[in-house]
Amino acid sequence: MDRIQIPAGADSPYAYAGPEALRQPIEAALRRVVDPEVAMSIVDLGLVYGVAVGDDRVEVVMTMTSAACPVTDVVVGDVEAELDRVVPPQMTMHVDLVREPAWTPDRMSERARSFMGW
Amino acid sequence: MQTRSHTGTPTSLRVGRWAFVALAAALLASGVIGGLLRAGVAVPVPDDSAWPGRAVSAHAFLMICAFMGTVIAIERAVAVKERLAFAAPAASALAGVLMLAGMPAAAAWLAVGASLAFIAVNTIVVARQRAAHTALLLAGAAAWLIGNLLHALGNRPAMVVPWWFSFLVLTIAAERLEMTRLMRRRPGAGVALYACLGLVLAGSAAFAWSPVWGGRLYGLSLAGLAAWLVCFDVARRTVATDGLSRYMAVSLLLGYAWLAVSGLAWMATSAGIAARDAALHALGLGFIFSMMLGHAPVILPALARVKLRFGRFFYIPLAVLHLSLAVRLFLGPNDLRMLSAGAIGNAAAIGVFALTVAGAAVAWRLKHSPSSRTHDAISAPH
Repeated sequence: MDRIQIPAGADSPYAYAGPEALRQPIEAALRRVVDPEVAMSIVDLGLVYGVAVGDDRVEVVMTMTSAACPVTDVVVGDVEAELDRVVPPQMTMHVDLVREPAWTPDRMSERARSFMGW
Repeated sequence: MQTRSHTGTPTSLRVGRWAFVALAAALLASGVIGGLLRAGVAVPVPDDSAWPGRAVSAHAFLMICAFMGTVIAIERAVAVKERLAFAAPAASALAGVLMLAGMPAAAAWLAVGASLAFIAVNTIVVARQRAAHTALLLAGAAAWLIGNLLHALGNRPAMVVPWWFSFLVLTIAAERLEMTRLMRRRPGAGVALYACLGLVLAGSAAFAWSPVWGGRLYGLSLAGLAAWLVCFDVARRTVATDGLSRYMAVSLLLGYAWLAVSGLAWMATSAGIAARDAALHALGLGFIFSMMLGHAPVILPALARVKLRFGRFFYIPLAVLHLSLAVRLFLGPNDLRMLSAGAIGNAAAIGVFALTVAGAAVAWRLKHSPSSRTHDAISAPH
């Protein structure tokens, strides 16, 4: 399976490669996936590293903060379900869960950091 | 319509999952019944069965090893996503069954095996992520093993139970430490936590030769941990949110208050004051069960693959738990009827919680039934 190369992003919270028409709906979809304990989205928490949209697939590269987290599959399922609502029906979703680079608090958004007292 | 990247679940796996859930629930029920009988409640149990008597004498084993150990080990197995990792919770659940079936030695040694397997699973977690919290989870697993070994070798409960509780306390502390990464860490906070947790382990060990020093150190460590959590946990911030995150924060903060009470109670027992019920149950019910009630809306969907709809009705079992515990621990010491009434309330809280979860599952299904899902597909994403 070819890995789609994800270039570094400038203004978005994560690297995005794909049609402009899908950029906002995909970001909105990912913002609906929330860590229930802190009521913040995976985008605000800085867990999403990149999104790449090809002809027939959407690839999301993301991480989790803990290798001991049992909720990982639920989060991945939520990501797929939310993306399914916004992307064209012929596209398949692939979530790449990576451990490198490791998540650090500076990946959190301004809003998340101010809520957490940074 | 949904293009999921993983295949659907085979029926055998779903049946196995639900069988595991039913077994865990049965072990919890037997542990609760044993606890009620110990608290002087006349629970209607069959006269000709021996298991109620065994549930009474093995109450701590059933609650901590057979039930909570199984749930925690399932969580870890789900996290590492290795089939073999489920050997640990399967062994601890089976150990509970053997205990109720009148084979205490086999049960105790099988629990030793379960905790050995659990240590192996935690070393996988540490290998995948070298961090303070994964190391603490491994330390908690080691504490469980030590308690199980002492138990299997026939040591008295006063020596064994503190180690079992240490397993639960370290596990919870590790997960709370991981959450604090979202906040700016005050310098010295990490060291303060390790000092408290080191004291927890030292206190557990001290019970082997001095109940007085055990009570002092153990109690001090728990009180210190409660102070640390109140100061540094994310719950301080998330309590200002609403919905599920607020509910979780409330359950955590109430739990920290009872953890402090437990610490004081352990210290009181070392001074000869009769506070053992508070020492044990402010910890087991007030702290640990409150954490479980708080996290269940998130964890149960992950473990049992059942979706829950959160609502304010989740506060009901939480209120019953904390109010009944206050009755039991503040009015109970001088009045056996109050102690029994409080214990009945504690059990009722667990029962009400089970009903709440069932209701939440039904509520989710009703909201996401095929007819409403079609509606979602038609309406524009917001």
